[in-house]
Amino acid sequence: MTFPYKGYAGRYLDVDLTTGRVRIEEMKKDWALLYLGGTGIAARVLWDETGPDTDPLGPENVLVVGTGPLTGVMFSPSGRMMFASKSPLTGIWAESHSGGFFGPEMKYAGFDMLVVRGRSPKPVYLLLRDGEVELRDATHLWGRETNVTTKMIREELRDPSVETAVIGPAGENRVLYACVIVDMYRAAGRTGLGAVMGSKNLKAIAATGSLPIEAHDMDRYLEANEEEMAKLRDPLWTDSLASLRKYGTTDLVAIINEIGRLPTKNHWTGYYEHADDIGPEVIAERYRIAQEACHGCTIGCKYIYRVREGRFRSGPAGGPEYETLMAFGSNCLNNDIESILYMGQRCDHLGMDTISCGKTIGFAMELWEKGLLDKSKTDGLDLSWGNVDSMVELVEKIARREGIGDLLANGTRKAAEAIGGDAWMYAVHCKGLEASGQDPRAHQSVGLTYATNVRGADHLRSLSSLEELGYPEIVIQRFGEEKADKILEIMSPEYKGELIWDIENLYAVVDSAVICKYGTMWPPVYYFDTFANVIPPLTGMSEWADVRFVKRVGERIAHLRRAYNHRLGITRKDETLPRRLLKEPMPTGPAKGGLPDLDYMLDEYYEYRGCDKVTGLPRREKLEELDLDFVARDLGERGMLAS
Amino acid sequence: MRRFLVIDLDRCTGCRNCELACSVRNTSTFNPRRARIQVLRDEERNLIVPVVCLQCEHPMCREVCPVGAIVEGPAGVLTVTESCIGCGICVTACMYGGIVLDPATRRAVKCDLCGGDPVCVKTCEYGAITLVDADKSGLLARSEASQRAMRTVGIIVEDSQ
Repeated sequence: MTFPYKGYAGRYLDVDLTTGRVRIEEMKKDWALLYLGGTGIAARVLWDETGPDTDPLGPENVLVVGTGPLTGVMFSPSGRMMFASKSPLTGIWAESHSGGFFGPEMKYAGFDMLVVRGRSPKPVYLLLRDGEVELRDATHLWGRETNVTTKMIREELRDPSVETAVIGPAGENRVLYACVIVDMYRAAGRTGLGAVMGSKNLKAIAATGSLPIEAHDMDRYLEANEEEMAKLRDPLWTDSLASLRKYGTTDLVAIINEIGRLPTKNHWTGYYEHADDIGPEVIAERYRIAQEACHGCTIGCKYIYRVREGRFRSGPAGGPEYETLMAFGSNCLNNDIESILYMGQRCDHLGMDTISCGKTIGFAMELWEKGLLDKSKTDGLDLSWGNVDSMVELVEKIARREGIGDLLANGTRKAAEAIGGDAWMYAVHCKGLEASGQDPRAHQSVGLTYATNVRGADHLRSLSSLEELGYPEIVIQRFGEEKADKILEIMSPEYKGELIWDIENLYAVVDSAVICKYGTMWPPVYYFDTFANVIPPLTGMSEWADVRFVKRVGERIAHLRRAYNHRLGITRKDETLPRRLLKEPMPTGPAKGGLPDLDYMLDEYYEYRGCDKVTGLPRREKLEELDLDFVARDLGERGMLAS
Repeated sequence: MRRFLVIDLDRCTGCRNCELACSVRNTSTFNPRRARIQVLRDEERNLIVPVVCLQCEHPMCREVCPVGAIVEGPAGVLTVTESCIGCGICVTACMYGGIVLDPATRRAVKCDLCGGDPVCVKTCEYGAITLVDADKSGLLARSEASQRAMRTVGIIVEDSQ
């Protein structure tokens, strides 16, 4: 082996499903050093191998499955991994991350990354076991729901320790927001990567292994790890971490409603008067039966619930996150908590993103209210707000692309185009991705996060909790005393360009490491210095000991992903917000009257990013400074550099 | 006094950090499959069952070993010696799953309490694992924890206390 770094499994897999050719390759030194892992390496691979001519659901699209050096090596919280591709939902950059146990198991099975291309002539699944790979027939698994698929794979391999990433019927039917379900009920939810797997006839990836992951300097790494863990143990966070362990992200329903940012009635407002009915206390008291954690996590935000009786009775299952409660709850004016738990579970089993699914249903409900949809177009369903029966029915129809489900399976943007008229006004998305559970009218920087996020309206590439929850000391440390007051003002657009630029760079490293947003997004304890501390002893990449080097990696990845989108035609005109979030002042609740000052924030963001303010395109010098000469050349030839 | 590990199932979240720490100590690598403590999971039945050697009073593993490879080490803790031939009879004999074959060496491995200061105890952020003395309260705690684990996986154990 010439790959010199530890902390990695050291190999990746290149699979062509069309021919069934499987190549085991050594990891590339430059990938690790310059892009670390996860989203970073995926950006490089997808830049090289896909582009404007790639049909996201064609055999030419490439799916990257990635872990990072911190996956499975006891850094907390690090049980994560990611999928990336060109999105069938948005047509641009797509990545989605998941917790659970599959990522670490992939590494113990011998592989850091998978690059999957082509289309298999028949359904298959990929088995990774102790450094070996097998493409196995999945004809008998096709059509099965995700939990059944996982069980059948474990049974046929006679190995309950096998971890899986599988698609359900939604992915097979190419629902554009079909997801990949990891280990039964964790999801790489967003951007439709389940449909990409479905288009390749790839039903599942299974992994099990007992190969070792070494550290460059184990003693020093464990020490560095402990130093970082100590930051999480600071008494400052004790109470909030206890709450996260008790409620998981369901707590956010209460916290976010309080500041008027809980998407309600298809994002019409940010305050839901019945939020208590779908909130943390009800779930904890009536349905929650156990706490869980992902691999290697000391936070443990996951929980198991059970509904003992009634129409939505259910055995033990992974509990829904905040986003699911919002999407099927407040967003659809539905305060029937058991129905939300049920639809969340159905989405898991069918393999569908709960956010896009709930948001698309909410969108249809608003069209019904506005008279843009009627019974003749909804297969006779009454789509009044909060109509649980219709919602439950819609979830099934979407997954199977039946009747109106076929239209809604394409997401709000495409559905609005097909319906025509004023329908677009109620499609709450950026670049085609349905908005997640935030609202820029109650939190300025969310507007910039949504608009600039390379995958669309979503919080996970750059959401800042610093001003949301107010951490003056951390803000002063990172941005200086002079700017602190303005940054901490949640409704001030001042310095938010710098804030979001900085956080986007940080999360680019986080998503390449690959670790969880807990610890960085909240509590905001891990920063660039964390990586400078743990990466060198783990991997032997001494360059990473310099915080400036770490920051440059973050910037490099952020720019490469942006360039991927520029090449597809994305410029400042697309980095905007849906009309509702940009122009309609918040009508009710604590954030009443709020609107984001997007242009002001964007101007500052582009300046920090090294981009032209008019077009949002990058400057040649900036790209070259980040060793992205190949990007500068390509964009230059296309006339897509800042002039 | 003899000591052993007691695991509180209510506190265990299944994060597997105990396995990771154990594998680092014993193999200098991250490799949970080679750990001497194993967390079994069955999502559909909501089972998370950590399994580790109970340091029994009448160890079946030692009794069945055809080559006498399992012997008492320091402080009365049984350890597997080099003479293990990897036949796996001990694994079959131990109904608690407290001894397993190391997938790399194909020899039996079991918990030796890290010589008195177990890393799993120190690593468990949820405080689910404790090292207790084999006195009356320790024995009761172990009995309760192991019976509950066995019941969870569908095995009923008669109380020997």
